[in-house]
Amino acid sequence: MQTKIVSKNFDIPLSHTMDVALKNGRYTSLDRLFTYKPQQVIDTIKASGLRGKGGSGAYAGNKWQLASDHHGIKYVVVNADESEPGTFKDRQIISHDPHLLIEGIIAACYAIGSNTAYIYVRGEYEAFSDILQSAIEEAYEKKILGSETKYLVDITIHRGAGAYICGEKSALLESLEGNRGHPRLKPHSLQPEFYFGQPTLVTNVETIASVPFIIENGADAYRAYGTDASPGTLLFSISGNITNPGVYEAEFGVNMLEYIETMGGGVKNGKKLKAVIPGGASTPVLPASMLKDATLDYESLKSLGSALGTGGMIILDEDVSMVKALKNLLRFYHHESCGQCTPCREGTSWVDKTLDKFITKTATQEDLNILRSVSQSMNGKTICVFAPAVSAVIDGFLKHFESEFLECMV
Amino acid sequence: MKIMIDNTPIECEEDELLIDVMLDNNIHIPHFCYHQDLGADGNCRMCMVEIKGQKRPQIACDTLVKENLEVSTKSENITEIKRSILELELLNHPVDCPICDQAGECKLQDYYMDYGLYESHLSTPKTKKGKHIDLGSNVILDQERCVLCTRCTRFTSDITKTGELGIIGRGDSARVAVAPGRELNNPYAMNVVELCPVGALTSKDFRFKQRVWFLDSTESICHGCSRGCNIHIDYNETKYTNEKIHRFRARRNTQINQSFLCDYGRLSYKVLNESFSGTVSEIKELKALLIMENKLALVSPSMSLQQLQSVKEFSQTYDIDLFSLAYMDESFGDDWLKTNDLSANFRGVKELNINSSKEAFDTSLENAELVINFDHDLLKHQELHNKRVVQFTTSNCDTHYELIFAIANFAHDSGTIINCDGIRQDFYATKYKSETPTLVELLGALV
Repeated sequence: MQTKIVSKNFDIPLSHTMDVALKNGRYTSLDRLFTYKPQQVIDTIKASGLRGKGGSGAYAGNKWQLASDHHGIKYVVVNADESEPGTFKDRQIISHDPHLLIEGIIAACYAIGSNTAYIYVRGEYEAFSDILQSAIEEAYEKKILGSETKYLVDITIHRGAGAYICGEKSALLESLEGNRGHPRLKPHSLQPEFYFGQPTLVTNVETIASVPFIIENGADAYRAYGTDASPGTLLFSISGNITNPGVYEAEFGVNMLEYIETMGGGVKNGKKLKAVIPGGASTPVLPASMLKDATLDYESLKSLGSALGTGGMIILDEDVSMVKALKNLLRFYHHESCGQCTPCREGTSWVDKTLDKFITKTATQEDLNILRSVSQSMNGKTICVFAPAVSAVIDGFLKHFESEFLECMV
Repeated sequence: MKIMIDNTPIECEEDELLIDVMLDNNIHIPHFCYHQDLGADGNCRMCMVEIKGQKRPQIACDTLVKENLEVSTKSENITEIKRSILELELLNHPVDCPICDQAGECKLQDYYMDYGLYESHLSTPKTKKGKHIDLGSNVILDQERCVLCTRCTRFTSDITKTGELGIIGRGDSARVAVAPGRELNNPYAMNVVELCPVGALTSKDFRFKQRVWFLDSTESICHGCSRGCNIHIDYNETKYTNEKIHRFRARRNTQINQSFLCDYGRLSYKVLNESFSGTVSEIKELKALLIMENKLALVSPSMSLQQLQSVKEFSQTYDIDLFSLAYMDESFGDDWLKTNDLSANFRGVKELNINSSKEAFDTSLENAELVINFDHDLLKHQELHNKRVVQFTTSNCDTHYELIFAIANFAHDSGTIINCDGIRQDFYATKYKSETPTLVELLGALV
């Protein structure tokens, strides 16, 4: 069931060092890359159907095209601010195969016409950031990066200060510019992001890490994996009440329950599966009863009323209190709301505090109404999708597990 | 170009902001964070409207108008959204209106009356934040009353570029603050009080002095320098006391001061509450002096065109050498509103061809037997030996002069002045009748 494309070198000892990386096929795609014209690279990415793996699932080629169509100094910014609860795939790439990331960045820079890339690494990822830094230094020594190469690319690591919202691309750029990490208003027309006013491609670590395979083997080789709409593979993180938590790469479209059984080793201690949060904490929870035909791709989970998101599955077994599980999530959102928009700033704190009453079993019907109405107030009324995600999480729990909440009322 | 707002056609320009169109046409649109001179930030979410063809409600401050746009501001859905957002704004607000200086001119109060009027649902503890924090420059911050619209932080970062104010903390613990060891310190700092739509930022100079609903307001022009910033004079008359001016507020003029004032100008209202407290002379006493030979008059360059004209006619009638000298201070001006020329109407002096040469003035002063000073600072407190001195004054002055006449200051007189860029502007007298006569009235008896 496991298909190793991005994670091919993960199990090789010292795979993060240059010597081992070179022996195992890193940087071979560059020879192929420089035989292409930049537009051909973008066309290849488009043809491969590669989708953004940071959670959005947007087609990467279109994004590259937008950045490429703008003139002037351009930047590539790699979003390594991985802070979605239940998601821990990007750090595997950074710590086990940083050279794969660098290789992908060179391709992206070449394709859109940029000479400078920034990697925005989550503040808490200090150790991984160090590994990445030494890999970049090795690449400079080997003249893979820098000015004495076929194509000049400079890479700089920027470490965040620990705000979840800086994983949102416009907030990330604000933070990178030295401002407070607040998401920007959405543009009125289709356009790339802008870093200090210059067109910029912001893209997730795993998306970029998928690029070398596509360059080397062609779009069709990538399309051979996955489904028509979701081609290729994804690094699925699996955690919670599971026997073998970890990151296992698989094709899009595999059966979710089968994946949980074979890759995750089934629910821990032989318990019964109660529910799965399928794509990182911000996707609505799905009860086990709905998962019979669920497959791991964007379309299937969307049709079930949830989302594939980052592919970070959180497994909840029969003993889990859904009230406490929701409290756990809401405490996180309360802590991480950036505080820019009113509905999110006040709403996340209100629902969190209200849920305390369910925990202490002192809630009333009024409190349940508050959860519902505040969730409604947060949906679709803010600058970024943080609040709508919180709203969807609350609605998901209340929809599928209302009885557990009713039991906590006076 | 035409758009439809609540089924009423409105004329506007392509790509204008919808909220600007609505504000310019006096269409009620609740908002906290948007300010016409600070631009859009989009954080308060109060200005949501429904736009035909859009799935979700949109904020008017980030919507560009397009031909045939159909906007609804009154639908049930929009009213409900505004109510819910207002409820969230007020959730952790202390609701201390009875002791809040903003009461009466507070957007939260206004919108609550428009869209709120609900019973509180809050049964969990409110978030506690800092109270009465002295930021410096006469500005006091109450973080609990703040709606985090960021108007004040955007003012210090985008307009004055001094960047003292920022937001610290996240989510419901986000609050406006200055960095430790720093204070709000720039010549325009008190604008943040006026920009604040709620009672979070109040002025040390005004707080606890008056309830705003007891104040009357008159349109006027600041006389602090030659910029001619547009202001509202806020004042009232309480029992047993004379009219008192309590503050200046900026009045929007996009050609001159947008919606801002410097602190010097803002606080210059204080001298308007002063007037000459001694015994004033009779005008016929002045007439008796006018038979003297060498006479000189010095008129303040801050006087209105009407006042200057009447002084000029008076001087011509009695053959008096008339001068006006500018108030210059090279250290006062900056590259924004403040000018080195502290006189409000020096352009007017020039226009009326009044002599402003310092050398000519000095020579004339040496020979003069009678000196008549029309409120010019230079001769207000100066000892002039062997000369008979007559003072016309708007403020208090020494009483050893031959004759002293109290005249109304610009708050109690109306007139026209010309600013440094040549823009003519009218100002008006406050509505209570002052006992002090105006200069034009006094001189009218002599000409």
